[in-house]
Amino acid sequence: MEKQNRRQFLRLAIRGTLFGGLALITGDLLFRKGGSLFNNNIMSGPTVWQLDPSKCIQCGRCATNCVKTPSAVKCTHAFSMCGYCNLCSGYFKPGTKNLDTGAEKQVCPVNAIKRSYVEDPFFEYTIDESLCIGCGKCVKGCGAFGNGSLQLQVRHPLCDNCNECSIARNCPAGAFSRVPASDPYLLKGFGKDRV
Amino acid sequence: MIFLLIIVFLPGVMAIQRFPKPEFESGYVVPVNQLPVQRGEILAWLDVAVLLIALSLVTYLVLKRRSRMGVFCISLFSIAYFGFYRQGCVCSIGAIQNVSMALFSGNYTVPLTVLAFFLTPLIFTLLFGRTFCAAVCPFGAFQDLIALKPLRMGAWLNAFLGIIPYLYLGLAILYAATATEFLICRYDPFVGIFRLNASFGMFLFVGLLMLTGVFIARPYCRFLCPYGVLLNWMSRFSWKHMNITPAECIQCRLCENACPYDAIEYPQVKKNPAGHRKQVNKMVVLILLLPIFIFGGVWTGGKIHRTLAGVNSRVRLAHILQPAHTTNNQPEIPEITAFRGSGITQQDLIREVTRIEHDFLIGSRIFGGFIGLVFGLTLIRLIITPYRTDYVPNKGTCFSCAKCMDYCPVVKD
Amino acid sequence: MKKTILIVLSLILLFALIGWMLFDLFMGRPELEKNPYDFGMKKLRETQIIPAYSEALPIKPALKKITSVATGPEGKIFVAGDGGVETFDFGGHLLNRISFPGIATCIAVMNNNILVIGMEDHVELWNSSGIQVSSWKAIDTSSVITSVAVNKQFIYVADAGEKIVYKYTLQGKMLARIGEKDPSRNIPGFIIPSPFFDVAISPAGDLWVANTGRYKLEKYGNDGSLLASWGEPSASIEGFAGCCNPSNFTFLPDGLFVTSEKGIERVKIYSQDGKFLALVAGPEAFDEGTHGLDLAATANGWILVIDPSRNQLRIFLPLEKK
Repeated sequence: MEKQNRRQFLRLAIRGTLFGGLALITGDLLFRKGGSLFNNNIMSGPTVWQLDPSKCIQCGRCATNCVKTPSAVKCTHAFSMCGYCNLCSGYFKPGTKNLDTGAEKQVCPVNAIKRSYVEDPFFEYTIDESLCIGCGKCVKGCGAFGNGSLQLQVRHPLCDNCNECSIARNCPAGAFSRVPASDPYLLKGFGKDRV
Repeated sequence: MIFLLIIVFLPGVMAIQRFPKPEFESGYVVPVNQLPVQRGEILAWLDVAVLLIALSLVTYLVLKRRSRMGVFCISLFSIAYFGFYRQGCVCSIGAIQNVSMALFSGNYTVPLTVLAFFLTPLIFTLLFGRTFCAAVCPFGAFQDLIALKPLRMGAWLNAFLGIIPYLYLGLAILYAATATEFLICRYDPFVGIFRLNASFGMFLFVGLLMLTGVFIARPYCRFLCPYGVLLNWMSRFSWKHMNITPAECIQCRLCENACPYDAIEYPQVKKNPAGHRKQVNKMVVLILLLPIFIFGGVWTGGKIHRTLAGVNSRVRLAHILQPAHTTNNQPEIPEITAFRGSGITQQDLIREVTRIEHDFLIGSRIFGGFIGLVFGLTLIRLIITPYRTDYVPNKGTCFSCAKCMDYCPVVKD
Repeated sequence: MKKTILIVLSLILLFALIGWMLFDLFMGRPELEKNPYDFGMKKLRETQIIPAYSEALPIKPALKKITSVATGPEGKIFVAGDGGVETFDFGGHLLNRISFPGIATCIAVMNNNILVIGMEDHVELWNSSGIQVSSWKAIDTSSVITSVAVNKQFIYVADAGEKIVYKYTLQGKMLARIGEKDPSRNIPGFIIPSPFFDVAISPAGDLWVANTGRYKLEKYGNDGSLLASWGEPSASIEGFAGCCNPSNFTFLPDGLFVTSEKGIERVKIYSQDGKFLALVAGPEAFDEGTHGLDLAATANGWILVIDPSRNQLRIFLPLEKK
């Protein structure tokens, strides 16, 4: 019987140690500097993935690496930065002569950008998200020649918010990061830095 | 598209406006962007609540009611809720990585819900055994469904294959702690099924794993799952644990082939003094060998740390930038383009990579030593056969699935 | 027997899968995948024409961020940027440095060495001892000053926000708004989609303005009437590529135009009536995505180019004389 009691005690001791270990880990994670309960740390709430357009090099991996088909990354148009140009370099392939809405003249491989006349000489360009695949071709054209108002962003209702984003793992520019779910967009304005 | 919450947001507010805006005369108003957000935080807490309720229910059904049917129903619910609805993410297995990253690398805070997913099954297991594995974990529940022709494997095979989860756990913690990679997420075979969408490689991986799963029951749980290592430890020393018999074991042997997972331990004869002494000798030898295993592991870890570090994206970038890797007729590699535009000098990168490789040296050595220890302990556990009169579940590896209970003829009075 | 075979096969399968995981983890080279959505910038940036200029060693100012360059009397080179202006001679030696708070976006030099500096929304005048001579009040809240030009009597300020060129006296009194849309005088108005809007005064004394949205360089007379314009949109070497170019321009001493573009970064020389003559530097000389190649030309025909990407003042010499 003594042996039985000794074994019981040993088990209790180890159980206590295991529990203590868990408590230590929990305590550290909650209360350390930057921890989950520290100073209303906004990052202790749910986080989502987002990409920083100022780092993006439009490599096309947003379209190919997302676990969803089509990708949860879409082109977003920051209208306040757009020049409303007739010859939009995010819309028309370079060297296009007659500026009409012919599909083969468009940079977008799935013709997801809609061009509409506003007034002379301005045209409005909007993205049809149901078509956009997040490839970034228009972003490249807009950013290189124009103001960079077309920007790739993760669209959150579509994103599954994987624990590790497959696109983030393969982004060559390290543009992806976790952002608070309450403020999940990183659209870029002009700011003090000129283009 | 259905948005749960729509926030209308002016991108202009994000930056100081120093920009020539077009002047519209026709009254055209520049549209504002719709920037919808994710599902509400409250739903993440709902998941934690469902986890708690499911765990409590399964524990009750296994320990008190001893109902295999009840467990089966809960496992169907878990496949539906945690599997197809939540698509298997965030899961308790992956939560190990979040915890590791928060503990060891700066700049990351574990969300409270993820911490809850990590802790709750561990605490339940410490108290009641692996009821999480029984029916709450959608991966386990799924494998239970496809285990159609489970084959038995010997103790040694089970023991040595059982070292693989320790390797997986160690690597996963190493990579998460260095903020390199979430290994468990990367090679998660089940999310592809639950999302009904996977790359061709992952699809093949899942299919073949499931094929294995028809003959080797719960292959992921027994031979891959890193969380299972932690649950194993918790369960071994659990306060209460399910038993095959509701009362006393009568050694009727009806449950001998009841467990598809080889988790039932058979009665062992008491050894005569000579046999007992031989066992003690073997144990002493193995205990003396233990430091050698550990040291061997540490040494091996140190030797392979650069290979392990090669997975880290900064280390990989440094390798790519070496001239031997780039050929002129190739389209330029995006990583190089991005690096050239980033403003970071190659010196800075090398300094960063040296620091990362140093972290990996320490981590790999700890990892190696840990595996050496596990190897030694596995051997000890195989050699030592303690005296046992009854048929009992192995507390560490039993999934508390209650499949064996129906075989036992004993009725509780 | 059958069971053993099945177990062995299953185990082989399991090990194969683990092997695949290890192979993918350690041997995978995801960076070698081609981009199926390549825009084709690389091809666009290949020039078919050989540049007629060669590059000398660049000048590297100490300023954090340089934005514009201008030449002054006695062959001095003035580089303006974030926080100040540095003065160099032809050999790249630093002659003077003045500091001020704020970012200088454009600079022009008067004959008495007073610097006219555009500071985002207003203009300031500084002398070479670092003393502010005057600071004009901001024109409008949405003003974006992108270029200034001076002659003996007037200072011209290009405002990309208002899309107007203002004409001031040397003392800072505004005299006129040039280029305002006026169908009765056939002035089409400026279309400025991005913050690049350059003005310059030709050696003959005429005011020229780059109307980027219309791809034209336009000449305005003293009364504000449009006297001439040339330029066409085109990705080929003769025209201006993309949506809004040329981003900057200046004049050689003999009246030839020097223009620079963004998108396909190139610096070109045009004749006085807008015929393409020569390429100074093509995209291969610049980092992709370089915007704001501000230009100035020296009295002996050297072309100075601000490279904001590398934060250097680059110098190009005609190939015949080195």
